[in-house]
Amino acid sequence: MGEETRMQENRMKNSLMDTFESKLMPIAKYISTNKYLMAIRDGFLVSMPLLVVGSIFMLISNFPVQAWINLLSNTNIAGTSISSYFSNITNATFSIMAIFVVIGIGYNYAKEEKVSPIFGAAVAILSWFILMPFTTEYIPEGSSTAIEVASIPLQWVGSKGIFIGIFCAFISVRIYKWVEDKNWTIKMPSGVPPTVGQSFAALFPIAMVIIVFFLIRVLFSLTSWGNAFDFVYKILQMPLQKVGDTLGAMLGIYLFAHILWFFGIHGTNITDSVFRPILYALSAENLAALQAGNPLPHIINSQFQDLFATYGGGGSTLSLLIIMLFFCKSKRIKQLGKLAIVPGIFEINEPIIFGLPIVLNPIMAVPFILTPMVNILISYITMRIGIVPICNGVIMPWTTPPIISGFLSSGWQGAVLQIFLIALGALIYYPFIKVVDKQYLKDESEDSDSGTDDFSLDDLSL
Amino acid sequence: MIKIVALYDQIESGMGTKDDKMLPLGAKKVPIGPGIMMQPYLKQIDAKIVASLYCGTGTYMGNKQRVTEKICEAVNKIHPDVVICGPAFNDKNYAQMCVELTDGIIGTTGIPAVSSMSAENIEVIEKYRDKMYIVKCPKKGQAGLNRSLQNLCYVAKSLAVHDDNTADIKEYCF
Repeated sequence: MGEETRMQENRMKNSLMDTFESKLMPIAKYISTNKYLMAIRDGFLVSMPLLVVGSIFMLISNFPVQAWINLLSNTNIAGTSISSYFSNITNATFSIMAIFVVIGIGYNYAKEEKVSPIFGAAVAILSWFILMPFTTEYIPEGSSTAIEVASIPLQWVGSKGIFIGIFCAFISVRIYKWVEDKNWTIKMPSGVPPTVGQSFAALFPIAMVIIVFFLIRVLFSLTSWGNAFDFVYKILQMPLQKVGDTLGAMLGIYLFAHILWFFGIHGTNITDSVFRPILYALSAENLAALQAGNPLPHIINSQFQDLFATYGGGGSTLSLLIIMLFFCKSKRIKQLGKLAIVPGIFEINEPIIFGLPIVLNPIMAVPFILTPMVNILISYITMRIGIVPICNGVIMPWTTPPIISGFLSSGWQGAVLQIFLIALGALIYYPFIKVVDKQYLKDESEDSDSGTDDFSLDDLSL
Repeated sequence: MIKIVALYDQIESGMGTKDDKMLPLGAKKVPIGPGIMMQPYLKQIDAKIVASLYCGTGTYMGNKQRVTEKICEAVNKIHPDVVICGPAFNDKNYAQMCVELTDGIIGTTGIPAVSSMSAENIEVIEKYRDKMYIVKCPKKGQAGLNRSLQNLCYVAKSLAVHDDNTADIKEYCF
């Protein structure tokens, strides 16, 4: 009985870790299971490979060797320069990125709500276009007044249209589901093929989406905003981008993500669902500036996060791996280092996180959380004072090895910065992992000293 | 002090990546992987992991009888108060290895054993939940790991001391 009471007391004692976790768990759980945030995160995953391949073409056409650039702009195929052809790829991917995002979010949200994903994507895109002003301002040569030309505006199908697109996807799919749930559909007789039946069944839900968005468009035109796109961009997207592009935001979000990682929760998955759209928009603006030959506006963007904050994966564990491989003596750590180094170079670090382990291992908490913070701080400062160029906005797969990724995004200075940060991170990790190493080494020497042991586990071979 | 033996696969033991399925059967006389994560709770229940056994899931699947024999032999030699197999998270192969070995250990050695995995392993849980205690744990990367490890220790202790108060235990298990 006494034992039970003691155990109960122990359970009620709130260690620091338990308090932390009890506060974090509800937030993490909410974000990771929220339908909307999951749809946003998955929707962006659709556009990611498209943007990566588009970026590769951009990199090729902008490779920083003057002779190459001249070659591309002077060689013509059927009257158009090669560099124009390359910029066509950029136009088909980056300049219209919001189209892919809206399709992706509409599709994934429809899946969450258990309605037809393809029609979900269709109504998302449809409703977005209904609200979009189909004009582009154009100043003809020799004139000083702008005329409005009927067109699908590049202005709104790029990054600026992302946030309004998110709303359109959610609202339109929700309306679609509402109509479908009420069973207001046309039911075809049984002989009709299922795909035809599906098309007809979608008629009423789609009609409702159109009616609602038509009304929204009319309402906005009666306000001083004129249209929903300008409204959402100025009221929501621009301020969020402004906040996101600050050192404080980046530090705060990454601190949160790494504390989550420490508790075994996939921290960046959680923060990405909220932060990634903003980061993408910031990257896209940098890219547009790059293309136009203007100075790059945003230090914080998608690549800044992937390349300079957490190379090697969460906790910037590539630095840790170097110490493990070259400066640690215990067999366990050396073995773990050997098997984790190749995935580590490609930014995958699950073996270290769960195998060392870093998760729930208080001694590793300090360097694990501190190293990315230091990386962010130093990278931001070097870019702020101009000794390292700002990331150019080119999106590359987050598994691109460091040094290569730094070079592609910020030139040789970026590569050097990454080398410097990896080395600095190694210094931060050194004292902590050496303590762990010492303990494991002690365990290993006791293991082989079979003097006082009750049992030997030598004969486990099959 | 309660003596515990833990059993892991190639990933949780830190001996390999998920592709290293053919990791041979081995052991360390210290806590590794999740054993280290559980330290504060082991202290609370006055327990110590005296051996951590590990086996690649491929090694097990290709040689179930022999591996089970060897593990039961080792458990008999060490004679702990309880064996913990897991946490297997949402890894189907490891989960299957856990329950089958738990079953084997309970049946052959008579020493209590407990398993742990996430709800995604539905088939395996349905098949074995009436034969043993399977403590709930989250998917890998999801919230709740800390609490589930604490529960696992609590259930292990109850089994080790042959505590008849099963109400609490059932709350943490499937």
